[in-house]
Amino acid sequence: MLGLVTLDIDHVTKRFGQTVALDDLSFRVPRRSIFGFLGANGAGKTTTMRICLGILRADAGSVSWDGRATTDLPRRTWGYLPEERGLYPRMSVLDQLVYFASLYGMAPDRARHDARSWLTRFRIPDYADRRAEELSKGNQQKVQFIAAILHEPDVLLMDEPFTGLDPVNLALLREALVELRDEGRTIVFSTHQMEAAEALCESLAIVDQGRVVASGTLGELKRGSRSRTIRLAAEGETIPSWLGEMRGVAAVRPGAGFAELELLPGAEPRDVLAAVLARGTLVTRFEVAEPSLEAIFIEHVGRPPDDEPTLDDAEADAA
Amino acid sequence: MGRRDPLFPNAAIVARREYRDRTRSRLFRLSTVILMTLALGVAMAPITLRYLDRSSVDVIVVVAPEERLAAATVATANGIMNIPRVGTDAATWMPPYVIERGTNLAAATEALGAGRIDAILEVNRAADGALSVVYRTAGPANGVLSQLAGFTALSVGIVDWTRSLPPGSQLGAFRTPEFRTESLNVPIEGGQAVDAVQIASRSFLGTVFIVLMFITILIYGMWVATGVATEKSSRVMELMISAASPRQLLLGKVVGIGGAGLTQYLAIALPAVLVLAFQEPIARAALGDAGAGLPTGGLTLGLLAAYGLFFLLGFTLFALIYAAVGSFVSRPDDLQTLSLPLSLIAMAGYLSALVVLLGGGGPLSRLASFVPPFSPFAMLARLMVSTVQPWEVALSVGILVATITVVALAAVRIYATGVLLYGQRPGFRAFVAAARRA
Repeated sequence: MLGLVTLDIDHVTKRFGQTVALDDLSFRVPRRSIFGFLGANGAGKTTTMRICLGILRADAGSVSWDGRATTDLPRRTWGYLPEERGLYPRMSVLDQLVYFASLYGMAPDRARHDARSWLTRFRIPDYADRRAEELSKGNQQKVQFIAAILHEPDVLLMDEPFTGLDPVNLALLREALVELRDEGRTIVFSTHQMEAAEALCESLAIVDQGRVVASGTLGELKRGSRSRTIRLAAEGETIPSWLGEMRGVAAVRPGAGFAELELLPGAEPRDVLAAVLARGTLVTRFEVAEPSLEAIFIEHVGRPPDDEPTLDDAEADAA
Repeated sequence: MGRRDPLFPNAAIVARREYRDRTRSRLFRLSTVILMTLALGVAMAPITLRYLDRSSVDVIVVVAPEERLAAATVATANGIMNIPRVGTDAATWMPPYVIERGTNLAAATEALGAGRIDAILEVNRAADGALSVVYRTAGPANGVLSQLAGFTALSVGIVDWTRSLPPGSQLGAFRTPEFRTESLNVPIEGGQAVDAVQIASRSFLGTVFIVLMFITILIYGMWVATGVATEKSSRVMELMISAASPRQLLLGKVVGIGGAGLTQYLAIALPAVLVLAFQEPIARAALGDAGAGLPTGGLTLGLLAAYGLFFLLGFTLFALIYAAVGSFVSRPDDLQTLSLPLSLIAMAGYLSALVVLLGGGGPLSRLASFVPPFSPFAMLARLMVSTVQPWEVALSVGILVATITVVALAAVRIYATGVLLYGQRPGFRAFVAAARRA
């Protein structure tokens, strides 16, 4: 673990009617770090964030920040970027940024100044006085991100922050997150995008059906994985069609001039190499690579982080 | 949920945004100006109508077979129909009816059909000396005029009968007796019972007030519900709910949107109420004595204050319920279905008030004046036209305030749950479950 542990999710349970959304969920987030909270839809990520924020109350367990229960903390401790994006359509961008910051106790003049500076940084300074409805979805998302961080929260909770962003804006957002971390903020985000999580997170938790199934630093998770990945290239054809049908191979992904083979737990890379050579293939590259985060996710959850029914349905039924 | 955020300053920040958002819109300003003009027009209507009608008089032609009988009928009808109101200057007063003798029935009927006269009072004597009187009009008879014609017929009968008394009997000229109505259960002003004319005026004003209150509560209540539903459907609620507590959001929204509604309401109602309050002097200035007796007298500062108080309390109660309802729909369109039961409840209060104003203030109406959400309507109606003890007003207000407090607590809980729910049709059980949830 990096630094001092400050956000502590301790044995939290939450039910919506008959549905168990969080089942004795526990994990810890080190201070001044970027923490990835990975799980399929319906795994309980949004519910966990809402409990951290005090929007929902846990049936059991507790959430604390720096040793204090979250219910004792002021709202400005948190910055929240919800998965469902929304702004006041007919209100100007600057007015609503100042409005949200004011609710968190920030002086309007300072909020206005800082908001302009963030808009400039995100390359939309000319949109300050435009109505939100006039902005593209990507630009609206940047405004929402600014709304979440403008009041300089200690902890930033972001639900799927990268969804819908083009590569340029994705890079801008990643850069901003790293900078915020360097300023001393703690960042927790959920995502389906394993590459983004792998690139940014110092530590992670993988959650499935309301329980943490794996957690730790990225290195710890990779070292603890039983998953094996092989990168293989053969003369003549980049990806032989029969690779996916070989014993011990779980999945085949195309790479740049090679194929990436995800092995089943227990399968040995040397057995795969022997089988390939036995077919008379001339192997030009064979490399046992670290498992990808997606492979680790599949290893623990049993399926990729695709769309599934959300907990919103369970929350609705519970009411 | 467990966090106890102070109400201020966030509730005030939310209220300010809601207020500005509405009052700055062009539609708001335009509709305010249009409605203000309409309200002024309605308030001025009695004066305008009387002004337009100031030079017209109703012409009634008396047709009788005997000279003396015709003269007696004209004199009696004048004595009954053309009585100046108390305090009117006789020198400048103009009688509303011209009563003249006709030559024959055929000519009078032809004049009536042509619209040159307004009515015929036909008096005939049978062979046994008994009189028969027919009041003829071109269209359906005016109720008040029919009654006056009936009194005239009775009086002519009495006058004619007195002619059969023995010669030398000393009878003075026929004089119309003074007549007034006194009731036990009427408002008291300055230790004196309010007179029947004032009560009639108050009944008219009370109807105007109750209708205004009913319409305003429904319209501005829907503003609140739509505001909540729109915030939810645009998903901005997800950001809001982390920045402010449900209590701050709900109360800020009710105060902000309610404030915008009140601003429009005052802009519309204040000029109209001023015209109503000063209608008598305005009418006298414009019409002289003909402006006396318009149906809007009896408006006092006390009644206006009572109206303001019950309107505010009634609006707050309904706005809280509307906000809770708005939090349970995913789209503003769904509000139409959910708002119907609320409209019916407000309608029940409105009808209970009308019953009181029409003189039917029985035990049920009295009970309604203490039971929210009917009490703002029913108590206001009682104050307008009947005797109400101070303790009754205090009790009604106390129960209303207590109810608002309980409803506010439940509404905050419903709102906190409702704003996070999407894609379901809320039922009564969902509301109860949400209200119970801590």
